[in-house]
Amino acid sequence: MAIEITIPRLGWDMTEGVFAGWLKQDGDAVAPGDTLFSLETDKATQDVEAMDRGTLRIVPGGPRPGDRLAVGTVIGHLAAVGETAPVQQAPPGERIAVASMPPAGPAVRRLARELVIDLRCVTGTGAAGRITPKDLQQHQRPTVTASPSAAEAQLESTRRRQPTISPRAKRLAVQRGIAWQELRGSGRTGRIRERDVREAAGARRAGSVSDRSVMIDRIAPVAYAPGSPGSAPATQVPITAIRRTIADRMLHSAQSTAPVTLTTTVDATELVRLRKQFKASVANEAAVVPSYIDFLVKLLAIALQRHPLLNSRWEGDHIQVESGIHIGIAVDTEAGLLVPVVHDAGSLSLRQLAASSRDLIDRARQRRLRPDELQGGTITVSNLGPFGIDAFTPILNHPECAILGVGRIQRQPVMVQDQVVGRDMLTLNLTFDHRIVDGAPAARFLQTLCQLIENPVPQLI
Amino acid sequence: MEISLTPAPRPLAASNRQQLLKLYRQMLLIRQCEEQLARSHQRGLIHGACHTYVGQEAIAVGVCANLRSDDVVFSTHRGHGHALAKGVPPRELFAELFGRQTGCSHGRGGSMHLFAPEAGLMGTTGIVGPCILQAAGAGYSFRLLKTDRVAVAFFGDGAVNNGAFHEGLNLAAIWKLPVLFVCENNQYATEVPFAYAAGNPRVAARGEAYGLPGVEVDGNDVQAVQSAAAEAVHRARRGEGATLLECKTYRTRPHAEGMGDYTYRSRAEVADWKTRCPLTSLRQLLLEDQLAEEAELTAIEAEVQEAVEDAQQFAEKSPLPDASTATAHVYSPCSTPVADARTPVAYAPGSPARELTFMQATLEGLTEAMAQDPTIFVLGEGIGKRGGNFNTTTGLYDRFGPERLRDTPICERGFVGLSTGAAMTGTRPVVDFMFVDFVLDAMGEFINQIAKMQYMSSGRLTMPILLRGCIGINGSAATHHSGSYYSLFAHIPGLRVVVPSNPHDAKGLLKRALRCHDPVVFLEHRALLGLKGLVPADDYEIEFGQAAVVRAGTDVTVVALSIAVQHTLKACAALEKDGISVELIDPRTIAPLDVATIVQSVRKTGRLLIVDESFAPCGIGAEIAAQVADQGFDDLDAPIRRLNGAHTPTPYSPTLEKAVVPNAETIAQAIRDLVAE
Repeated sequence: MAIEITIPRLGWDMTEGVFAGWLKQDGDAVAPGDTLFSLETDKATQDVEAMDRGTLRIVPGGPRPGDRLAVGTVIGHLAAVGETAPVQQAPPGERIAVASMPPAGPAVRRLARELVIDLRCVTGTGAAGRITPKDLQQHQRPTVTASPSAAEAQLESTRRRQPTISPRAKRLAVQRGIAWQELRGSGRTGRIRERDVREAAGARRAGSVSDRSVMIDRIAPVAYAPGSPGSAPATQVPITAIRRTIADRMLHSAQSTAPVTLTTTVDATELVRLRKQFKASVANEAAVVPSYIDFLVKLLAIALQRHPLLNSRWEGDHIQVESGIHIGIAVDTEAGLLVPVVHDAGSLSLRQLAASSRDLIDRARQRRLRPDELQGGTITVSNLGPFGIDAFTPILNHPECAILGVGRIQRQPVMVQDQVVGRDMLTLNLTFDHRIVDGAPAARFLQTLCQLIENPVPQLI
Repeated sequence: MEISLTPAPRPLAASNRQQLLKLYRQMLLIRQCEEQLARSHQRGLIHGACHTYVGQEAIAVGVCANLRSDDVVFSTHRGHGHALAKGVPPRELFAELFGRQTGCSHGRGGSMHLFAPEAGLMGTTGIVGPCILQAAGAGYSFRLLKTDRVAVAFFGDGAVNNGAFHEGLNLAAIWKLPVLFVCENNQYATEVPFAYAAGNPRVAARGEAYGLPGVEVDGNDVQAVQSAAAEAVHRARRGEGATLLECKTYRTRPHAEGMGDYTYRSRAEVADWKTRCPLTSLRQLLLEDQLAEEAELTAIEAEVQEAVEDAQQFAEKSPLPDASTATAHVYSPCSTPVADARTPVAYAPGSPARELTFMQATLEGLTEAMAQDPTIFVLGEGIGKRGGNFNTTTGLYDRFGPERLRDTPICERGFVGLSTGAAMTGTRPVVDFMFVDFVLDAMGEFINQIAKMQYMSSGRLTMPILLRGCIGINGSAATHHSGSYYSLFAHIPGLRVVVPSNPHDAKGLLKRALRCHDPVVFLEHRALLGLKGLVPADDYEIEFGQAAVVRAGTDVTVVALSIAVQHTLKACAALEKDGISVELIDPRTIAPLDVATIVQSVRKTGRLLIVDESFAPCGIGAEIAAQVADQGFDDLDAPIRRLNGAHTPTPYSPTLEKAVVPNAETIAQAIRDLVAE
C-alpha cells in the first residue's frame, strides 16, 4: 500500500508551513533518510527526510513553491515497486491558497507574531515593499481615538458629584430604602460607611412617620450640605436597645404588610359632653377621670365585637381572628415608643378601664412594665391629638390587622339642619392591612365606630 | 567523531543464545516503536515534544536485562526506550503520547513524563538532573526497608555538568547506596557538544572523584553494556554501593522530532554513526556466530512489527481523558481528613495539658510519629548526634539510630532531591533544612518534582514528605537567615504549606503532616521556638485548611500568620481599652487556605486587615484580599488593608531590623486606621 507523504509538524505549535520545493522528482526511488522536499516554517526552512522506502508519486496538481499548506496535507505518496499511487487530487479545502508572504525581516516577523498580526494584511513601505516595524505599528494603531482628556474629565466630574459608599453600606441603604446619595459619609475620605446608613435609617424612624419621601426630605438638610458655610457636623446619637427594637419592628411592618389608611372626621360633641359630666361628678381628686382615649378604647372594643375581622392577625397560611379584644395604647416615653396592652378591654367598665390605662401609662413612662403587659395586643390606638395633629398614617403594629390613629378634637362650625352650629369634631385615621380586609369592610367598621362616638351614652351605661 | 572504547569482555555466546535473541527483540521493539512514533508525530497524532531513543537502544536493554521487576528506573526526557526495556507495554506508551486515558500517565504526562511504578518505571522527566538524586533516594529507601532492590538513573551527558550529578553521586558514595548511575553519553546536550561543555571528556573518570567505581563501555554494544551493568547491579545488591557507568553512544535522529539537525553536526557524522547501529551489529553477530537463522530473525521482526501496529491502533482507538478530570491528582485522595482530626483550637475539656515550648511540642510530635512509623527518617545538617541546630531532633539519634537520623553534607538540592526519590519508593522522609533561605537552592526539586509528582503520575505515586525549617526575621540574623517565602510555596499546586503560630497548633499540624500523603512544607518562625503554651497530653492532629478564630470580635477582622498572630494578640489587648473589638483569625495553613472562615468573619465585621511579616507583593495577603474582595465584596465597609514586612532584604543592625517588621504598635495603629476608614 502506498505510503502518504504529508506536510509534517516540525514544531510544537506548528499548524501550517510554506512549501519550498521538491528535492526529488516524481518517479524517483526514495530510501529512508533521503530528503524529499523543503518546507518553510516560522523558524527556518527545513529539508524533510523520508522515513520509508518507495517510488515518489507526487499528487497531480501538487504543491507549488510558496503554497501555504496545513500540517497533514497529503502532497504525494511512496509507492512500492509495481504499485500505482492512488489517484488523489489535492483536496480543495486543504490547500490554503494565498498570496505569497510579503518580504519582511526576521525581527519584523517575530514582532508580528508577538502582536498577532498577519503579515499578509500589512502594507510594506520599505524597499521593494518590505515590511518595516513602523508598518506594523501603523497597522496596529486604531483609526479613531477618543479624546482621552474629555472622557476623563467627564468621569472625574461624575466622581466628584457622587459621594463614595462602601459596598456594605450600599447594600444596607438599598435594604432600608435610604437615598444614600444624599448622605454625608463619616469615613476618612468622606466615604459613606455602614454606620452612616444605620444612623440615617434611625433618624427616619424617629419621627414614626412612614412616608419615605417625607423622611428623606427631613434628613437632607442635616446630612447634605456640601461646602455650605458654617454647617455643623452631624451629631451621632447612639442607638439604644429600645430604639433598635422599634426600628426593626417598624421596618418589618413597613416591608411585610399592605397598609391602607382611611381618614374621617366625626362629631364628638356628645363624647365631650359625657366626659365633662364624668369630670364634674368626681368629688375625690384622686379618683380617675376617663380620658378621651379611654372612651375611645371602650367604644373601639364594642365596634370590634361587631366587626371581628378587624381584630385579627395574618399568619401566613391563614388569618387568625382573635377571641379576646386586647387594645394596645401607644405611649410616648423618653426612651421611645412603648405600647402597653389593656387586656379584655370589652369586659372592663369605663372606670376600671381608666384606672388600668392610667396605671399602665404611668409605669410605661417609668419603664416599670412587665413584659406580659407589652404583649398580646390585638389592635392598637395611637393618639397624636394633643400635638394638634389631625390626620396621619400610623404604621401597623405587626402582626395586628389594624391601628387607630386619633387626631385632635376641635370645636368647629358645622352645618346641622342648614344651621351653622359649633360642634366638637374629631379626626380618626384607621390603618388596616389590606391583605386581611378590603377597603369597604374596613370603612364599615370605621363607620360603626363613628356612630358609637356620635352617640356614646347607650353604649357606656 | 572518533571515540576510543574499552573492549568489553565477550561472554560465552552459545550459552547466551536465548538471552541475545531476547535482547535483540527488545532493541528492535524500541527502534520500531520510535520510528512509528516519529511518523505519528509528523502526522500530528502526538501533541507535544517527542524525543526518540533511536541509536541508543543497547543501553536501556543492556542495563534493564539485569533488573528485577521490583527494581526501579529513573529516566530522562529521552525515556521511551527505558520505559519499554523496563516492561511498560507499547500500548501504554503509545496511548500516553497520543494523549489518551489509557496511557501510562493517563494523558497527564506525554513523552517526557511517563510513569509506570508497577513496572518499576518511576518516571521520565523534562528536567535534566533530578533523576540522579531520585535514584539515590530510592536507594536510601531500599536500605531503610532492608531489601536488596536496586535503583537505576539513566541520564545524558548533558546532566553530568549539573549540580545534581555531583551531589547525587557524592551522597550515594558516602552512604553506599544501591544505585547504578548510567550516563548515556550521546555527545550532545540537545545541540551543545559534550566535547565543548566538559573540561574532562571522560565521564567515567569522574567516579573516582566521589570514591565510586567508574566504568566506560561501548553503549552501542548491548553485550558490553549488559555485562558491565551486571557487575554494577551485583555490587549494589551486595551492599557495596553505587557505580557510575558511562555508555558512549549517539542518537541518530534529531534531539526532538521536527527539529533541524544539521546546524550543529554534519550529515557525514550522523551517517557514520548509523553504520554502527547497535541492532545491525547484533543481528550480524547472531548470524555470523550461527546463533540464529535468518528466518528466525525475520519472524522476530514480523512479530515486533505486529506489536507496534497493535500499539498504534490501540492508542488511536483509545478515549481521550475526560476534561473534567484535568485537576484531579494534584493532591492524594488518601490525604482526605483523618477521622476525628478536627481538633478545636480550644483545648478539649478534660484533656490533660502541659506547658511546652513550640520546639518541645514539635519534637514530641516527631518522636511519637517516628516511634509509630518505621519508614520515617530525618535528613539535615547537624540533625544526628547534635540534635539539630534548633533542637528539632534532640535525643532522637540515640533512640532511632544513624539511618533514621541522617546528617547530610551541605547540599540542599542533593538531599531534597534524594528525599523525593525516597518518598516515591515507600519511605517518609523529613527534611530538616534549618533555614528556609538555605533550601531555596532546592527550589527546582520542590516545584518541578515534589509538587508535581502525584499529578504527573496520575496519582499512582504519593509524596509523603515533610520539609521543615525556620523562617522569619529575628535577632540580627540578617538577610541569608531571615526569609519567610511561604507565599512562593503556596503558589505551587501540589504542596501543603503550614505556618503554625503556637505550640499547640505546631504539634497538631506536625502530626497531621506526618500522616499526610502529600508533600508538606512546615515553616517555623524562629521567634516562636521558645514560645510556651498548653499542649494536650493526648494524641491529637489538626486538619489542614482549618483556620483558628483566635479571638472573637465585632469591629474588624485581622488575619495574621505565624509570629504576627502573637504580635496581633498584644495589639488587641491595647485596642480593647479604646473600645475596638478585634476578631483575630489564624489560617494556620496557607495551602490549603480556609477562605470560608475569613469571609464569614468579614461578613460580621465589614473590615479586613492582613498582618504578615513576609513580603506584600504577590504574597498570601494579596491572595486573601482577592478572595475576600470576590466572595465578600458586599460585606466590606472599608478597603482591605495589608500590613507586611518591608519589601527589602533583611538588614542586620537592630535599628534597621526593627524598622522592617510589623510589631504590636504598628499593628494596633493599622487597626485604628482601618476602623477610621
